[in-house]
Amino acid sequence: MAEVEEQPLPLSPQDSGRGECGEEPPDGGAAVGVAEAAPPSAGSPVTEEPAEDTKKKIDVLLKAVGDTPIMKTKKWSVERTRTIQGLVDFIKKFLKLVASEQLFIYVNQSFAPSPDQEVGTLYECFGSDGKLVLHYCKSQAWG
Amino acid sequence: MSLNLDTEDDFYLEENRFKQCCAEFIKHSQQIGDGWEWKSIKDFPDGYMSKTHFQMKNGNTPSIFKDSTKESDEQTFTHVEEALDDSQVAGICATSEVIRYEYHVLYSSSYEVPVLYFRACFLDGRPLTLDEIWEGVHECYRARLLEGPWDTITQQEHPLLGQPFFVLHPCRTNEFMAPVLANSQRENRNINYITSWLSIVGPVVGLNLPLSYAKLVSEQNTKTD
Repeated sequence: MAEVEEQPLPLSPQDSGRGECGEEPPDGGAAVGVAEAAPPSAGSPVTEEPAEDTKKKIDVLLKAVGDTPIMKTKKWSVERTRTIQGLVDFIKKFLKLVASEQLFIYVNQSFAPSPDQEVGTLYECFGSDGKLVLHYCKSQAWG
Repeated sequence: MSLNLDTEDDFYLEENRFKQCCAEFIKHSQQIGDGWEWKSIKDFPDGYMSKTHFQMKNGNTPSIFKDSTKESDEQTFTHVEEALDDSQVAGICATSEVIRYEYHVLYSSSYEVPVLYFRACFLDGRPLTLDEIWEGVHECYRARLLEGPWDTITQQEHPLLGQPFFVLHPCRTNEFMAPVLANSQRENRNINYITSWLSIVGPVVGLNLPLSYAKLVSEQNTKTD
């Protein structure tokens, strides 16, 4: 139900609970809680599903702010190169927001990154416990 | 900044707090070389935050040339007074030109929020029209500008300098700031109003804040207000 069938899904949800790492080791060898991939024995990429390479995806937790609808699936695996704008578009579609509604994404609950900012960079700066927490808030446009 | 009430009313920014937030913001700007400064006007108690930056206009023919017969088809803009004339168009179509952008953050005592004033001009002093400014804005923000929760962009006289600037009208600022502020308050986090606000409105007019400003916020969370 969390997967949108009719279009390629830029994000993949995490179905199972995942162990959280306190710290990410510098070589990235330990698993960073990838839900669907093979057991975390590999530093080598698993090619059965190309998008599931642990190094290429980061875990994002989306939290609603204000009276913005809460997404049923809050935890997502997102490619590092996904931009904020890409994420905004995705959430807007997921929440079925109308065109006149605007969506903002914040890090640290307070700062809206530029639209072309990559989530991988944000994760490196603001991620903790193996995930990046992003708050999202919708805003009514001038109508 | 306010007591434990969640109504929109309590998230207005009072003037001293405005100055304080600007000071913190500028301090960080100095640390990372981002170019913001505080400007005060002689004999006036008021001041404002200002940044000037230069950017190369790309060598492509801007859309302004193709649309030279019509000034602007975006309905949300009002009071865009500059008309295109041939000399302007010819000048624009030259290859890369340097554009000087100026951003000022002033305090509006009537709305009790900060207000963003901006203008841009070529090095010979020729001002850019709004359309030309938007040439340099990330495409998604052009859509956002039309859809955004802010009012129109108008051209007004800068209250302290008396020169024409474009202004992002402040009447709905509180509306989009309130949820962010309320959320932070609930979680007992101190946020810098100016940082948050500018991170939201800035990109719409071509002003992007480096990520380190967001870290500034979290460093302050060890202090109580």
